[in-house]
Amino acid sequence: MSAIDDLVTELAQLPGIGRKTAQRLTFYLLKQPAETAGRLAEAIRQVRERVTSCSACGTLTDVDPCAICTDPRRDAALLCVVEEASDVAAIERAGRFRGRYHVLGGRLSPLEGVGPEALHVDHLLARVANGDGVREVIIATNPSMEGEVTATYLQQTLKPTGVRVTRIARGLPVGGDLEYADGVTIAQALLARRDMSEAD
Amino acid sequence: MALVTTSAVVLQTYRYSETSKVVRLATRELGVQSAIAKGALRPKSRFGAGLELLSEGSAQLYFREARELHTLGAFDLANLRRDLAADVGRFAGATVLAEIMLKMAPPAPLPAAYDAFTAALDALAGASPDAIDAAGVRGIWLLLGVLGFEPSLGTCVRDGTAIDPDGTDPVSFSVAEGGVACPSCAPAPPLARLPRQAYRDLLALNDAAAGLPRLDAPHAAAHRRLVARFVRHHFGEAGPLSALDFWERRAWVSPPPSTPVPSAAS
Ligand SMILES: [Zn+2]
Ligand SMILES: [Zn+2]
Repeated sequence: MSAIDDLVTELAQLPGIGRKTAQRLTFYLLKQPAETAGRLAEAIRQVRERVTSCSACGTLTDVDPCAICTDPRRDAALLCVVEEASDVAAIERAGRFRGRYHVLGGRLSPLEGVGPEALHVDHLLARVANGDGVREVIIATNPSMEGEVTATYLQQTLKPTGVRVTRIARGLPVGGDLEYADGVTIAQALLARRDMSEAD
Repeated sequence: MALVTTSAVVLQTYRYSETSKVVRLATRELGVQSAIAKGALRPKSRFGAGLELLSEGSAQLYFREARELHTLGAFDLANLRRDLAADVGRFAGATVLAEIMLKMAPPAPLPAAYDAFTAALDALAGASPDAIDAAGVRGIWLLLGVLGFEPSLGTCVRDGTAIDPDGTDPVSFSVAEGGVACPSCAPAPPLARLPRQAYRDLLALNDAAAGLPRLDAPHAAAHRRLVARFVRHHFGEAGPLSALDFWERRAWVSPPPSTPVPSAAS
């Protein structure tokens, strides 16, 4: 296989990029000065080397703990629980939330063999119980069936701690991913959050 | 290619491309089928929010005989079954039923299996809190029955001797042979021994017309274990049964391992 084919094949595996686009990108790069391709290659290498999960909240970061966890202006009493680190990015883009995050690393999915032990639930309980000063846990799992069940599970698991547990509003399209919602929708869903109770 | 309209329940979805999903559907008219829902991941998709795990609706399938992947033309949502998400136990039971449909139901018309499946989902959603387990166990047994694995409970699985439900001795149950065995056929272990009350409860669980037996926690656990062993024995070769494991051990109730020291999240 030629070097051109190699790059086209690699690019075509990226989400949203078909074989045609991959070819266009490859030929574009070949027309640019060598440094352009060099910088791209280096940036890809660096992102793999430097980015890790924040040991406090689980989001992706260059420095550990992350800038959100160490920002003194952020409200440590508000903890927003999300499925994936990409959801943190989506809520940050909306720009309204001033608390901190907790990334679960997925959602309950019995059919895919994902149980509570596969999620960072013990770590969440420790953060709530360890006197981090958390007063409210906002559950912002996706409005999918499995995201809803995960919210139910977290509410039940957090209950003994006495912390206030709220769920973001259903302003988000049911079944839609947080990742795809626009900033205004996310901001409204956070603002209109409701207390979770047994009856919910 | 034929356009078929059929009642259907979503059993599984996964991303197929940037904009499309593949859905595995339990359909009433065509059995379990896979279909591509083109554009389902676009923000203003005509499928809306309908293609969610366990949601039920009317599916329009462009069906190609001899193909494995069909095309979903439309899905008119009738029941999102969101009430199942408000209780992990109800949801867990529902995912076991979905798993059995995915692993054991044929890609061919079997309306009785579809009806048993949806009736069990309804029963799980409507069960009182202390009857969720019994509703789940019954739903699984009845679904197994219409899929051709009805256990022999009234008569000995080996020689047909009638078993008296009002007797007092424990009743032997052979998971491998698929039913109960009379005393002369099963003089000793290794068969499971059901106390007579558990046997009567098992009869009632397998009879849709009987009242749902009241099972306390240890008995509910025993019935979950029995039906789970039965499913594993007969279908375990179809790959892991992770929803069955989750439901049987009530994974959401046992506290997660306590590690108070925050470990490096990864
Ligand atoms: Zn952090
Ligand atoms: Zn016999």
